[in-house]
Amino acid sequence: MKKMIEVENLTVSYGRGSQRHVAVEGVSFTVGEGECVGFIGANGAGKSTTLKTLMGFTYADSGAARVCGHPAGAPEGRRSIGYLPEVALYYPFMKAKELLELYGTLGGMKKEAFKRRIPEVLALVGLAGHEGELLRTFSKGMQQRLGIAQALITEPELLVLDEVSSGLDPLGRYDLRCILEGLTKAGRTIFFSSHELSEVESLCDRVILIDEGKILREVTREELHTIGRERSLESFFISEVRAGGKGNE
Amino acid sequence: MSKAAGKASAVRVIAKSVLVEAVRRKEIYVIILLCCALIGVVMTLDFFGLDGLVKFYREVALKLMGVSTAIAVVLLATRQLPREFEFRTIYPLLARPVGRLTFLIGKGLGVCAAAAFCFGLFMILYVAGILSLGGDLAWGLFVQHIYLQMLLMMLLTSACFLLSLLFNYDAALVMGLLLYSASGILSSTSLFLYDLTTDIGRLLLIALNYLLPQLVLFDLSEKVLHSELWGPVSSATLATLTVYALAYTLVFTGISYRLFRRRPL
Repeated sequence: MKKMIEVENLTVSYGRGSQRHVAVEGVSFTVGEGECVGFIGANGAGKSTTLKTLMGFTYADSGAARVCGHPAGAPEGRRSIGYLPEVALYYPFMKAKELLELYGTLGGMKKEAFKRRIPEVLALVGLAGHEGELLRTFSKGMQQRLGIAQALITEPELLVLDEVSSGLDPLGRYDLRCILEGLTKAGRTIFFSSHELSEVESLCDRVILIDEGKILREVTREELHTIGRERSLESFFISEVRAGGKGNE
Repeated sequence: MSKAAGKASAVRVIAKSVLVEAVRRKEIYVIILLCCALIGVVMTLDFFGLDGLVKFYREVALKLMGVSTAIAVVLLATRQLPREFEFRTIYPLLARPVGRLTFLIGKGLGVCAAAAFCFGLFMILYVAGILSLGGDLAWGLFVQHIYLQMLLMMLLTSACFLLSLLFNYDAALVMGLLLYSASGILSSTSLFLYDLTTDIGRLLLIALNYLLPQLVLFDLSEKVLHSELWGPVSSATLATLTVYALAYTLVFTGISYRLFRRRPL
């Protein structure tokens, strides 16, 4: 299986001297082509830092990260990624269609492709008919849906989604799950961080648990189902974090 | 698409997004309206006689329009990068195969395009005002003035980008405005101060003279005002000023890129 993400012994810190804070320490994992992998952990566990390092927004102190066969942050690698940042706003003075054109052009799309692709992704995320509206009129949920649309606009091989369901209401979460299921079935690789354990359970082939910058455990879909029969995922997650990844051993 | 064409296309769409922002937000129109109101007041004054009024109008309008465009540029340029960081709009942008230098150049060109839009509107109003007063226009000098003002806006944009990477938005805004206003004062007083000060002071003055761009060099408004006395500036002077502006812009952009290249986002 082709490796879409390879992270090896990654350490990332912020600040200097006494202000130095290690956000991610010695993290290693891989994500194979066509896999849907969930990255879960409490706030400040190091999820977003890991994802940002994969995108080239922050830099590793040591270790290595490769995305689609290229070093993390290399433009060649980014060509194949659709990225949804955690809590991003979109230019309020732009219209939805203009924003998707901007990101599509930056992603290397041709102008002719927009005619087909923009209505397609907007319909997919439930924003059909809103293409001509200024983004300042969009609600938080609509902004998040648009965020998913911009991640999908160039039909990327790999989707990196940070807190994917943040800001979505139950209906939006259900729609999102359907979108991600469809993409997984279509063979796309998805790597996403989330607090929503139910989302992770229903979608993922594998889950990586992270806490205080270290990987606690990797759990396969089969293991997740077994755990789900015995107790709630939430209690499993809490016991794993409290036991530092040795909860089930 | 070739690599160069891809970069050019990225620069174009990023610049377009800045221009769209400038056109759709209200600041530029507020600045233009305020400026027009002030100029309108000037045009109603009648104690100069018609000849004096045309000259007074020229002086006030050119100065006000230049200063107003510079304020618009400083406002727009200093907020570009801090706003991108604050609202995290930079993430989906740089998640594409777009280099940080391409991003900076696109933003810079966008601000320059917005400055051209603002100054263009001003110049149309200026010409309309002159014609309505029955005055004549020295077109050669006037076009040169517009060209040099555009060079000034380019230089100011790159300086403001650098300031916004060195300081927070508020500080960058204040320093950008100070840079614009102090440049004229420094140029006019440095010769006078040079004679008064001692060795270290002289060294500092020389350092400041080279460190800060002499923005007054790009202001031909005095010559446009007294166009009956002045002919167009020689092409050699224009070429020198173009090189001067490009050199400062390149240095400022280079330092900005160095600061921004590996900045964690």
